[in-house]
Amino acid sequence: MAVTVKFFASFREAMGKKQESIEGVNNVASLLDELVRKFGEKLAEQFYYSGTRELRKTMNILVNGGGLNLPHDLDKPLKDGDVVAIFPPVSGG
Amino acid sequence: MAVAGLGGLGSPASIYLAAAGIGHLTLIDAQRVEPSNLNRQVLHSESDVGQSKLKSATKKLTEIHSNIEVDGIYREITSKNVDRLIKGADVVVDGMDNYPTRYLLNRACVRNRVPFIHGAVEGLVGQLMTILPSRGPCLKCAVPKEPPKKPHFPVLGATPGVIGCLQAMETIKLITGVGKPLVGRMLIFNGTDMTFDEIKVNRDPSCPVCGKHGR
Ligand SMILES: [Zn+2]
Repeated sequence: MAVTVKFFASFREAMGKKQESIEGVNNVASLLDELVRKFGEKLAEQFYYSGTRELRKTMNILVNGGGLNLPHDLDKPLKDGDVVAIFPPVSGG
Repeated sequence: MAVAGLGGLGSPASIYLAAAGIGHLTLIDAQRVEPSNLNRQVLHSESDVGQSKLKSATKKLTEIHSNIEVDGIYREITSKNVDRLIKGADVVVDGMDNYPTRYLLNRACVRNRVPFIHGAVEGLVGQLMTILPSRGPCLKCAVPKEPPKKPHFPVLGATPGVIGCLQAMETIKLITGVGKPLVGRMLIFNGTDMTFDEIKVNRDPSCPVCGKHGR
């Protein structure tokens, strides 16, 4: 069992894949760390402002369909079987 | 039926609603046509630059269908007037270009139990979700925090064309009772790799808008 992470739009382009199964993470922050460890700088650049660990405000994360209030909810616990969706909400019209 | 915003999304949405034979459309917009609008805001033409979008929209839509009744509201949407503006609408179509006003519409639609068809675009990416108050999640459940404001974002004109047409389709489905609305699912259209995907969205019981303590 593991956490399933689904990537959308620019995150998918950076990852080059639609989804990934990640084991051994207990909250959202540790999941992002693990993803960056596994997939490298290109993904870190999508998550954080250049050269920092400050989460980009263009990032939206849902856990099992529930939108997170970031960065406050970075400590939201994750358990096996959870589905995490990462997407950049767009604003224009 | 109300279309809030007559830009890249509101243009195709209202054109397809008018062409479908919708008898009455309320249009809300307080902007004038600018040359940079014309790549996507297909209600307006070169000769409309400088005029109110309401004027060109009304002209275009009544040309499509002469018996359509168009109610133009030349107002900026604010927290004070939003309830009054949308009251009585069967459906409100999101044609806004910013989250603060979208959130106002979302809240007012939830409060007044009016279905809200959310759409947004940027570049080659679009998103769409139908909000049926008390039946599914609202915009704030899906996007709890306002994404950062960008002074300019390029939009490939066909992107709001895609999303605006889908908004018209969701609207027509709701009023005719046909099919299954996009409730509890956010559609993500990515023109870059030409994919459509769905993100599951659940109603947040602690949502400040539609949750227990909201409304
Ligand atoms: Zn909500």
